[in-house]
Formats: sequence, structure tokens, C-alpha cells
Amino acid sequence: MRNSLIGLLVFIALAVTPLFVGQYWTGQLTTYLVYGLLAISLSLVWGYGGILCFGQAMFFGIGGYIMAVFTKGMIYPDLTSSYLGLLAAMAGAAMFALALGYFLFAGRGISGAYLAIITLAIALVLERLMNNWYALGGYNGLLNVPPLKLIAFGYSYELWDRLPTFYIILGIVAVVYFGVSFLVKTPYGLLLTAIRTHPDRLSSLGYSVLNLRLSVFSLSAAIAGLAGALFATLDGFVSPTLIGFTLSTEALIWVAIGGKEMLLAAFLGAIFTRTAESWLSEIFGDYWILILGVVFMISVVLLPRGLLATPIEMLTGKRKRK
Amino acid sequence: MSELIPIFLDASSYILILVLVALGLMIVFGMMGVINMAHGELFMIGAYVMVLTQDMGLPFLVGIVLAPLVVAFFGLLIETALIRHIYHRPLDTILATWGLSIALKQLVVLLFGPESHSVPLPVDGSLDVGTFSYPVYRLILMLTSILLIGGTFWLFLRTKFGLMARAVIARPATAAALGIDTRRMYRWSFVIGTALAGLAGALVAPIISVDPQMGLGYLVPGFLSILVGGAGPLAGVLAGGAVIGGVNNLLAVWISPVAALITVYVIAILIIRLKPEGLLGGRRAK
Repeated sequence: MRNSLIGLLVFIALAVTPLFVGQYWTGQLTTYLVYGLLAISLSLVWGYGGILCFGQAMFFGIGGYIMAVFTKGMIYPDLTSSYLGLLAAMAGAAMFALALGYFLFAGRGISGAYLAIITLAIALVLERLMNNWYALGGYNGLLNVPPLKLIAFGYSYELWDRLPTFYIILGIVAVVYFGVSFLVKTPYGLLLTAIRTHPDRLSSLGYSVLNLRLSVFSLSAAIAGLAGALFATLDGFVSPTLIGFTLSTEALIWVAIGGKEMLLAAFLGAIFTRTAESWLSEIFGDYWILILGVVFMISVVLLPRGLLATPIEMLTGKRKRK
Repeated sequence: MSELIPIFLDASSYILILVLVALGLMIVFGMMGVINMAHGELFMIGAYVMVLTQDMGLPFLVGIVLAPLVVAFFGLLIETALIRHIYHRPLDTILATWGLSIALKQLVVLLFGPESHSVPLPVDGSLDVGTFSYPVYRLILMLTSILLIGGTFWLFLRTKFGLMARAVIARPATAAALGIDTRRMYRWSFVIGTALAGLAGALVAPIISVDPQMGLGYLVPGFLSILVGGAGPLAGVLAGGAVIGGVNNLLAVWISPVAALITVYVIAILIIRLKPEGLLGGRRAK
């Protein structure tokens, strides 16, 4: 209960932030919120589902490309609805995850270190593929992706301005965050803890470990796909870097620094790391990446539960899960 | 026919370097279950040691001796300061060494700049037999690699150290009960693995461009070689390296580098998925 109270406070704090910072930072923060959404998806699949995915950005990228292709009218010129694009982005990413997950987990599935290396290799392959898929822009990606267009009750509104965009994105992120927070507290969340810790015992109790893994993998991919689709509308372009290795590992760093077993910590990990990056890279220049690498290393060794999750847990007075 | 020979020789030299890099990874992974994502950066440091010694005008052989020593020292430092504390959390070693890899890469950018460096060939000239011609240094490189790979096999299969190391791999608890200092074995195996990476980096420095991003290009194929070949017997690395390196190099010539890379990764992923214990069998990591 206190945990969701803190979540609420965080979102209220985010909502009032544009009152204190300028247009530029509001725009930046909007992008960070989308990265935060990617972090939530990774936290769900890794921290809760126990699947260490080294290529989470592939779902982000797939979502982004589907959104771009839809809203640019490349499939059908009259079918450029943002809603349809978002839906297709989520569905597309989830379907890809379902197929990939079946390939990876069915039968004598692979897990642990093998899974990390294989997902890393798949992300690299996809990035190369997109670099050479000229119908989808190849190396340059797709430009001029239109912004979100909201249509309700006969009114239509395109999100060009920063402030409304920020609040719409914040609303979407909040809905996903509270939705997933609720989900992991239901019996389904308990099953996720079980497949993470004792998959064999769970299957002996009659549950299908494969189906559970597939469900959490696809759900997380759908969220990552949503994040990618939103990102495409914010930046107005998609490129192979969205799908590949660099963003995947960056997301991994945010989530590990924040705390993979706590959605809020993972979400804030993304926002804090990105904010710190914009500030500190001006001060420290090229030393920033060095510092980030070292901080990441230290947080993994000394605070495996996360730099942010540890203080939040102390705040909520929650006893450490074993 | 004579135009095919250089292609096969190029492929073989790539395979041999890949096997050298993968051997270091394999010793660390097979023995301790530690995935060292910074292995590519240790390889890179070896190459930079060579760049540095050549800039200072020292003989090539000095670089060849210094590179493994410097990198082994790094390895000792990394083992003591980092890996030792997370042996019992194998998955976290992936993350921690990834952080290390980012830090090392950036350190090299800060010290040497992001641009690529080149090392002059220590031995000019080429071997000419009829219409066939091949650079001498590449032949020396291949011969040295074969000797090094053979030496590593000898160390692990024929010496007392190797016997103890294999005992620690097979039954860590029993080995410890029999009086083998497993911690010490872990440490020196890790150092040997890193020294191999450093030496490999120094050896290939004259024939590739040395830049801060070079590590990843060997790390991922190195891992795939181990997983394809099987993480059990040392010979698995030979089979895996031959499949990954050979297919990659030959397809790159016959089709295109991009198609080659994608095909190799897809083949590797399929083999690892369908035969998780690898081509030569062996233990499967948890």
C-alpha cells in the first residue's frame, strides 16, 4: 500500500515538474518518460519473470518501425490513425516475442547466461537487418513520422506542442505503471516469482512454465513496443539504432542501477540516469561514460538490488524479500 | 585453384585468432561459470600495448612480450577487485563485466582518442610460390597461434596444474576437499585467460585497425564459438571457432560481409538452441 503511495507521489511530482522547468527540459523529460516505459518492460521480464533479455530494445524498435509505417501511410494511405498504429505496434512486438519466446523456451529451453548471449546476438542480427532493409529506410531510417493524433468525439488534435504531449505521455506511462504494479500483486505475480525461483516445483504443481514465460515475455514486449511507438512520434524518426544492441544495454544499465525487482526503481533508474547524463556529460565531458560504467559496476557488486530500490525499500519499511 | 588458397588461408588465420580469444573466455566460463563481457576490451588493450610500443620505436617482440604481461596484470586486478566478489552470482558477472567493458573502452578513448590506429607490419614481404603469393607475417601469425593454442591445450591436459584445474571444473567441492586451493585456481586461470586475450590482441594489431570498438567484434563471435562447440571439453572451442570463423569468412568473400554476419549468427543461434550442449557435447551451464 505504501509502495503504491510512493508511486503516486512520484507521478504527481513528475506532473508538476513542467511548472518549474523550461520548454527544453519538458521535451527532454517526455523522452525520458518513454525510456522509463522501456525500463518498466525490462523490469517486468527480468526482475519479475527472471528472463535476462540482452535485447529488449528489439521490441522497442519493432514498435517504433510499425508505428512509423502505419502513421506515414506506407501500408494504406488512408489508414494513418495513431490509435491503430499504437495497437499494431504493441501487437506486433508481442507476436514477435511470442514466436521468439516459443523458439527459446519450448522443450529443453535455454536460460541464464546462454539466453543473455543469444538475445544479444539476435539484437545484433536485427540491427544489421534493418540497416540493410532499404524499403524501411536502411541505415538512415524513416523520417517525418507524424506526431500523435488524438481523435475523440469528433474532434481531432495533433500533438505538436510540448506541454500537451508531456501530459499525454505521462498519462499513458502512469496507466501502464499502475496496471503492471497491480498485476504483479495478483496471483499472477506470485506465479512469476515462482517461475523465477523454482520453475521445476511450479511445473510439478501442474502449471505450464512455458505458457507463463511466454505470457510475461510477450506482455513485456508489448509494453516495450508501446514505448518504441511513442518514441517514434516524439522524435519524428526511427532508425536501426532503436532496435539494436546499444539501446538494449543502456536499458539494462538503467534497470540494474535503479533496481530490477521494483518497477518504480527501474522506471526512476531510466529517468535519473538520462537526466544525469544530460547534466553531467556537460560537466565531465567524455569522462561521463567512464563514470557511468564504474557506477554500474559498483552498484551490481555492492547493491545488487539497485541503487534506488534500496532507499525506496527503507522508506516503505518493506522487509527484504529473500 | 591458386586464387582459392589465399581465401582459405585468410579464413584459417581468422579462425585461429578467434580460437585464441575464445580459449580465454572458455577457461573463465568453463571453470567459474563467469561470463566475462570485458574480454574483448582486454584483447583491445593488448593491441594498444602494441601500438604504444611501436610508437616508442621499440622492437615488435617487446610488444609481443609486454602485451600479455600488461593484460595479465589487468586480469589480476579485475579478479581481485571485481570477479572474486561475485563468483556466487554468475548472472551478475555479466552485468558487472559489462560495466567494466564500458569503462575500459572509454578509458582508451580518453587516452588514445576515438580514431583508429595502425601498427606497421614487423615483417614485410610475401611468400611467392609460382602464381601464389601470401604475406609472410600472416603465416607467422598462424604458426604462432597454432603453437599458443597447442600450448594452452598442453597446459590444461598434460600438466599437474591442468589436472587440478580440470578437477576444479568437474567437481569443485571434491577438489577443495582434496586440498586444492580452488580460489587460487580460479585466480590463475582467469589471469591465463586474460593473458591469452592480450597476446591475441598484440598479434593481430598489424593486420587490423586498432580502435576502441574492436573488442565487440571478437567478443560475440568468441562466445558463439564456445556455445556452438560446447562448453565442456577444450576441443569444443576448436570446432565452434572453425564453424563460426570459417562460415563468416568464406561467406563474406562469396556473398557480402553483412549477409555473412547475419547467416553466421542465425546458424549459431539455431545450433545453440537445438543442441544446447554444443557440437562436441559437454556440460551445460545453468
